[in-house]
Amino acid sequence: MIRQRTFPVTLVFPPQGHFTQPYLALPCIKAWLVKHGFEDVQLLDANIDAYDRFLSSEYLKRARDLVNQRLPLERFAGRTELPFRELGAFRAASEARVSAEALIARVDEAKRVVRGPEFFDVDRYVPAARTLYHALRLVSAAHHPSELTPHNFTMAYANDRSREVLAATRDEAQNPFVEHFRTQVMPGLVARRPRVVGMSVIYGSQLIPALTLGRMIKEALPECHVTAGGGFLAYIGKKLMHAPGVDACLDSIVFHEGEAPLLALCERLRDGRPIDDVGSLTWFDRSGPAVRTVENALGHPIRLDDAPAPDFEGLPLEKYFSPELVIPYDINRGCYYGECTFCTLPTVIGPGYRTRSAKTIADHVVKLRDSMRTRHVNFITDCMPPGMIRDLPHELIARRADVRWWSDARVEPKAYTPEGARKLYESGCRKLLFGFETATPRLLKMMAKGQSLKSTVEVATNCANAGISVTFYAMVGFPTETREEAQATVDFLVEHKDVVREVSLQTFHIDEVAKTYREPETFGITILSDPAADLQLYHDYEAAEGMTQEEAARVFTDMMSSLRANYPLFSGDNIFYFMQKSHYFLHLARDVKPEEFVERCRARTQRRANAGADPSLGVGADTHVVAIPFGYSEALSKLADPLARAARPDFLTGRFVESAEEQAARVLGSIGRKDRVLVYCGETAEFAEVRPDGARALEALKHVGTLGDLMDALPPHDAAARANVTRFAIELHRLGVLTKRETSASRA
Amino acid sequence: MSQNDTSTNDSKSATSTPGVDPSRAEKRDESKKTPALDFAKLDLSIEKVEERISPSETNVFDK
Repeated sequence: MIRQRTFPVTLVFPPQGHFTQPYLALPCIKAWLVKHGFEDVQLLDANIDAYDRFLSSEYLKRARDLVNQRLPLERFAGRTELPFRELGAFRAASEARVSAEALIARVDEAKRVVRGPEFFDVDRYVPAARTLYHALRLVSAAHHPSELTPHNFTMAYANDRSREVLAATRDEAQNPFVEHFRTQVMPGLVARRPRVVGMSVIYGSQLIPALTLGRMIKEALPECHVTAGGGFLAYIGKKLMHAPGVDACLDSIVFHEGEAPLLALCERLRDGRPIDDVGSLTWFDRSGPAVRTVENALGHPIRLDDAPAPDFEGLPLEKYFSPELVIPYDINRGCYYGECTFCTLPTVIGPGYRTRSAKTIADHVVKLRDSMRTRHVNFITDCMPPGMIRDLPHELIARRADVRWWSDARVEPKAYTPEGARKLYESGCRKLLFGFETATPRLLKMMAKGQSLKSTVEVATNCANAGISVTFYAMVGFPTETREEAQATVDFLVEHKDVVREVSLQTFHIDEVAKTYREPETFGITILSDPAADLQLYHDYEAAEGMTQEEAARVFTDMMSSLRANYPLFSGDNIFYFMQKSHYFLHLARDVKPEEFVERCRARTQRRANAGADPSLGVGADTHVVAIPFGYSEALSKLADPLARAARPDFLTGRFVESAEEQAARVLGSIGRKDRVLVYCGETAEFAEVRPDGARALEALKHVGTLGDLMDALPPHDAAARANVTRFAIELHRLGVLTKRETSASRA
Repeated sequence: MSQNDTSTNDSKSATSTPGVDPSRAEKRDESKKTPALDFAKLDLSIEKVEERISPSETNVFDK
């Protein structure tokens, strides 16, 4: 085997993905390349690098200045009406103006908290998480109307139209990654001069950033072959490679599993051989007068059990926003069940079901535990077959692996027996996520889930009794589902809230691979297509019966409200634990029982709701106010309406309906002038909206010190004044703007 | 607490200028603060602000 020292390869995970833990695909591919003689393989997590830089005081100063230039709050002064189309800009400008200084001062500390032992102190964790969220809103405001959140990246450009996608790669004002890649990523790549750059594009939110980077690499390093693969490209890659102009950003796309194609590609390029026999590769042939797209035949997947353990070396492990590393590891690829009519996720890795043996998995886990110095594992699997559910715990226990893990799962009553669940817990399993979907049996049948409600409850109960936290995936809006059926689903979930701790609820959507798309008549739907969307993956549809998509979107909101009211982990700001991948798990990994954690959440919400007029209350540290000419909460309320959400790129699909904005504007209308004051408390990272009088009262409170001091200064007989101030203080305490301070007595 | 609003004792905020730089804020006579405010008559309403981080806007596991 020839050792190749002079063929540098760089594997890039482009923004935007989760920021809590590394992703799996590129470490797997790196391990395969290294095993086959390519020694110089660099892993570059451009996603976490970008988040880390954006969430720094230095970058936020830049963002603040950009907002003041591009989206000054003064733009809204002197106006009596604000139309729907400007609500988002007003929100961004207001938030940025009032919170920028506090965010600049506190963002680095917030990162330190979520990366360190204080993560486990909820009173430190929640303000830190909030600070990161709000800081990203400042970054977003600087690139308005783009939005970068911990969960998504969307621009005003539709990502199902190639012309818009390509235009977005050049829009430096709205695409924060243009400047970021140019100044932070390209210098390193230019110095390294990789011969191949491979990008992993799992999500739609990565498409524009990936092509942005691809374009820059192709311009700066013409000898570098830029390829990309991953789940999202498995869906739309063919369309992308036939879209005009994409050849400026990419040289090829790898479909499905990446190990064999990328190895073959690197070997051919290293040896100067043609690439027309690289399986699963679609590439641009630039040898003729015009660029031509060539689709090679699909290749065969590797024998998964022969694959080495993923190689995470080179990733900036200290940057992930978790106190302890959680490493992903794939048990199998594809889905052994593969019948659910709505699900297409298993197809993106390629046809067929492949698995590692339990023995191999356990051996690798122990090896990674020692080399990565972590015992936390996120097993990547669509679901485990009954044999693996039995064998994997046995192998982990036999090796005394002493790890803690979580994974997706399928309802298998014969495997998740009380004893089976106990063994899983003993082997380190602390959380399982089951595809529950709906409480309606006829819909379960249409979905071909192959499970009953009875068996689902039985499995969930056995796991819960064994100490494993249970999450249900659920959906609303499956074709023909009625409002009553959706209500029955949420009623069922609420009824079982002591067994199920989290619900990942989504609205039903159709992609072009799903059975619902290929056989719409079976589901009583008519698929709608947009001829202008040359990268279309997701489709709207009309249903002959049951809820419309718009109804389902509204019912979704109602269902979430119900879950937030009934699931302690979802209540108030406890929901941050659910929202960050692996953050709740990290508590479970300390052998905190789900019911114990949930009780802490319940107690915290109760404490907050019962917050009273403590005399030691004072204005929180680092509190800022700004006068605003329209209602902030009123603007937010309209922006949260499903019609308004339809006017923005969908959080899941990245597509939006252009006419939706017109409809939203017509129905939701404008807001009128109201003199308000927006308050931001840097210490707690909370916003509040008061009247100008409220701002004066806050100033007075700040001046005297504490609520007790203020009450002492009021005339003792002025009951109305005391009552007014008390009500104000209680509410601001509940909102987190007032916090407990030392009293004047203790100061004296 | 930094204040980006130049309006102070004037309860009519029509003349207030949104987003004014705090360095230009009018300095007030410290002795005239608390006693000048009739707390019984102040409008201390607080708007209910919808939770900015709405789960409906996020897909918390894989997208």
